[in-house]
Amino acid sequence: MTSSLMTVDQLLTVDRRSFVKTAAMAAATAMASRDARGYALPLLEQAPSSLAWNKAPCRFCGTGCHVMVGTENGRVVAIQGDQKAEVNKGLLCVKGYHVGLAMYGKDRLTTPMLRRNGAMVPISWDEAIETIAARIAANPQGFSFYGSGQWTIPEGYAANKFVKAGLGTNLIDANPRLCMSSAVTGFLSTFGVDEPPGVYDDLDQCDVAIMWGNNMAEMHPVLFSRLVDRRARGEKVTIIDMTTRRTRTSELADHVLYFQPHGDLAIANGIAHLIIKLNGVDSDFVKRHCNFRQLGAAVDANTAPDMLGVPMTFEEFAKAVEPYTPEKVEELSGVPAEKIRLLGELFARRDLRINSLWCMGFNQHTRGTAINCIVHGIHLLSGHFGKPGDAATSLTGQPSACGTAREVGTLCHLLPGGLAVANPEHRAHAEDHWNLAAGSISAKIGYHAIEMFKRFNTPTDQGGDVTTIWVQVTNPGHTLPNLERNFLRKKDLADKFLIVSDVYPTATTSLADLILPSAMWVEKNGMYGNSERRTQQWFKMVEPPGEARDDAWQTIAVSKALFDRGAGMKDKDGTWIFHTQGRDEQAIPIWDWAHYYDINVDERLFDEYRQFSRHKHKDLAPYAEYVKSRGLRWPVVQQPDGAWRETRWRFSGFDDPYVDKGKDFQFYHSVTKDDKALVWFRPHEHPPERPDAEYPFWLCTGRVLEHWHSGTMTRRIPQLHRAMPKAYVELHRDDAAAIGVLSGDMVTVASRRGAVDLAAWIGGRGDPQKGHVFVPFFDETQFINMVTLDAYDPYSKQPDYKKCAVSVRRKV
Amino acid sequence: MAMHRWNRAARPALWITLMGAGAAAAFASVDRAAPQAPAVSTPLRWRLNTPAALIVPESKALPAAVADKFGARARSVEARAQLRAYEGAPPVIPHATVDMNVQTCRACHAQGLTAGDKVARMASHTYLQNCTQCHVEADGLASLAAPGDPPKPINTFVGFRAGGHGGTRAWTGAPPVMPHTTFMRTNCISCHGEFGYDGWRPDHLSRSNCVQCHAPAAEFDQLAPTFGKADLPDGLSVPLP
Repeated sequence: MTSSLMTVDQLLTVDRRSFVKTAAMAAATAMASRDARGYALPLLEQAPSSLAWNKAPCRFCGTGCHVMVGTENGRVVAIQGDQKAEVNKGLLCVKGYHVGLAMYGKDRLTTPMLRRNGAMVPISWDEAIETIAARIAANPQGFSFYGSGQWTIPEGYAANKFVKAGLGTNLIDANPRLCMSSAVTGFLSTFGVDEPPGVYDDLDQCDVAIMWGNNMAEMHPVLFSRLVDRRARGEKVTIIDMTTRRTRTSELADHVLYFQPHGDLAIANGIAHLIIKLNGVDSDFVKRHCNFRQLGAAVDANTAPDMLGVPMTFEEFAKAVEPYTPEKVEELSGVPAEKIRLLGELFARRDLRINSLWCMGFNQHTRGTAINCIVHGIHLLSGHFGKPGDAATSLTGQPSACGTAREVGTLCHLLPGGLAVANPEHRAHAEDHWNLAAGSISAKIGYHAIEMFKRFNTPTDQGGDVTTIWVQVTNPGHTLPNLERNFLRKKDLADKFLIVSDVYPTATTSLADLILPSAMWVEKNGMYGNSERRTQQWFKMVEPPGEARDDAWQTIAVSKALFDRGAGMKDKDGTWIFHTQGRDEQAIPIWDWAHYYDINVDERLFDEYRQFSRHKHKDLAPYAEYVKSRGLRWPVVQQPDGAWRETRWRFSGFDDPYVDKGKDFQFYHSVTKDDKALVWFRPHEHPPERPDAEYPFWLCTGRVLEHWHSGTMTRRIPQLHRAMPKAYVELHRDDAAAIGVLSGDMVTVASRRGAVDLAAWIGGRGDPQKGHVFVPFFDETQFINMVTLDAYDPYSKQPDYKKCAVSVRRKV
Repeated sequence: MAMHRWNRAARPALWITLMGAGAAAAFASVDRAAPQAPAVSTPLRWRLNTPAALIVPESKALPAAVADKFGARARSVEARAQLRAYEGAPPVIPHATVDMNVQTCRACHAQGLTAGDKVARMASHTYLQNCTQCHVEADGLASLAAPGDPPKPINTFVGFRAGGHGGTRAWTGAPPVMPHTTFMRTNCISCHGEFGYDGWRPDHLSRSNCVQCHAPAAEFDQLAPTFGKADLPDGLSVPLP
């Protein structure tokens, strides 16, 4: 058997022993899809055991490792790295190895609950659905949906259609606003279309890997070890760690460059300066494939210049980066001039393949769009683009920030497939796909995350026009910056209504008015899309506990309740927007939980959604192809022989089928509509809040290996919790000595917005620079987001969790 | 998949490395939970786990024939399972570590060593560089522990446990098959060698080319999950008369 998967035909020819074993497997997958269509449900290799193994992407980070989930008697009992997966080749990280435990914390939410007279009382699902429908119907313009990069693709698509087609507003946004939006605006500004042109294969091929302010060893460990394990094979790969503090990544780097906040802007410009000075410009590439841009003048002090900018010539660009000499960059960033020269020399060399990598350091940045643009720019300028190993790669933190929020467009200004609300042609496409009357989709952009929660936390009679929020699969009560202003004020606003679909009690459910218990990961069918454009699929393997139900079902059920009330949710023919029928053209009552798994709703939603993906050449294959594979990277294009071929390097003629024949590169969504990418000039600017006499330290926040985001899953996994039981504050030794603090002492970290008490950890896992402190944000008993600043990038609206001014005092 | 052959001449260098601070710190912390050291300072007996130790004459081979062989095997399975959430999970680290430097892991686990009654097994997959990606401390942040700390979570997950034996042998007396694949288990002596688990130690340690005779069970696909319920049809897992 050469294929890893057995078709029904092959099943019938194997010997009896194997058949008996695989029959158990068939029963498990049959549960996930009882569709009578009968296409071959692929069954995966059976190890000799009573365990049933099935594939799924990991629940945690944006790497998108594939795991094998071992289930027995309706429970997950083991996890293995999937050796057949290209992403991780059988390896996982400590979180992935323990992902099977994430569902079994003792306090799983198992029944819907409504707040009555201050207490949460259990209610039925019918009452819950009716309550939500009544609330929305009473004021649809006051309703906002807040979703997540952990939404599966079908979940996000259902919510997006619910709001944009069903209610005719754009009042939906998602937590990638807090995590990736600057990467999006960076890609859009440069290439005219979102998401990386490169793939993880670039890690295997590069000569130099540059970490631009990301702690890859802890945050994308499987990708990091993919890089460093090349050394065990005798390959030479130079790792440069650009960082504000020493981390585990620094330990395995060849060069560590410590920089000051916003120094990245100066460094990138310094590299551009040197590329030009050292004759490292790939003139041919630039002439044929690049235009130059800069921002125009601001309209007024409160409005940023238009994101499209104004043209500039190469000469003007060279003049603009002229001041960024190595010495000037050292002054602005703190990185020694000789190291800047090293970087410039590396980029000027054409024989080296350079892979730049970044994550939150670039995106949670008040100039996030700018820094993303500049680093794309230096790769384009020097020709380090579009060949295996030459790439500027944005890594994502969530398992489906790409697959769901970005690609499905679950943001207040987007439509599925990378289409934009602001574009009348795009709205027309969506109306066409959704069978809506012309003009049904609102042209008015909705509220981005911070704006949504700000209005929710403002009295209704003072402009707080967001009165109901439905949160699914995320924890804004923990992860929004400046929590007092953006979340906690809701407590005193009696007319606001917060609905939360989640799996465990969280900081968000603590202020919820209605809690809906949800199915998690392999308790439902799902699909995710990772950082390298790989869409991955899984089947339901175990039942959710108690009355927990799929998030997509919840959305669909409320949609039906609203439709029945005559409150929208219909297309131009008056048909319910989630109407689903079998081959006999009879409607299938998917709003009724008892029938939700009569068919594979995921497949129906996905195959409807994928029509959108053609417009911007983000082609998705049919659902069945993802079932058979360990994910496929879009654009996935069908070949003459019927096979579906994924694309690795976009815009490169040798691999991207949408590049015209004969061209080496083609940026076919070019902003300037001439197949060229944009190289941007953006100046260095200082952060909005800098240390001063009262608040003399820089605060940076971030993550640790063991915990994923707000820790609602990982802190319920004993091995992970015990390895990292609580948050702390990292201090430089000299700073600690100056304030009389030893490792283990309690200190108070305070900003203009709030304060948190934390144990000091000196000489631990990270070593900040003098004048800097670092606090991980996973601990819900110590909310560092009470302290953080909610200033955001003017284009992406993404807040900056990486730098604000704090005081640090020993707690007496 | 032959075992590594170490250059005998390299041994002195390794001894010197281990004498360094890394090893001293590491084995001091290994014994964190041990009873009080005796008042008189006696040097801890410790030695490096080298394959040279395996090359012993038959007459002096370690008595691996433990009286209750199958009981010992079961106890080894249990001992091994203590540090793992389920069979196949990476073991947690039962001692404090130097958080940022994977080279300190290698000081003891690159080849393995014993210190007093503690054993640092040779890593079964030394080709992977980023140890702390998968292995985390059993009790982390111990130096910051304080009375008000968050409580440990209650989790009802029950992990799969291997039986520790199984797989179909070709015929009575054929070499037993591995009830596991070799993915991430390419160093046999890690678990089966002199400083491996008691119940799994073969009676022929003088033979150092394990995979010459032993292969993973035929029921396995080397690319699929590495184990199953280990009590497979194997009429030979009962003691021979």
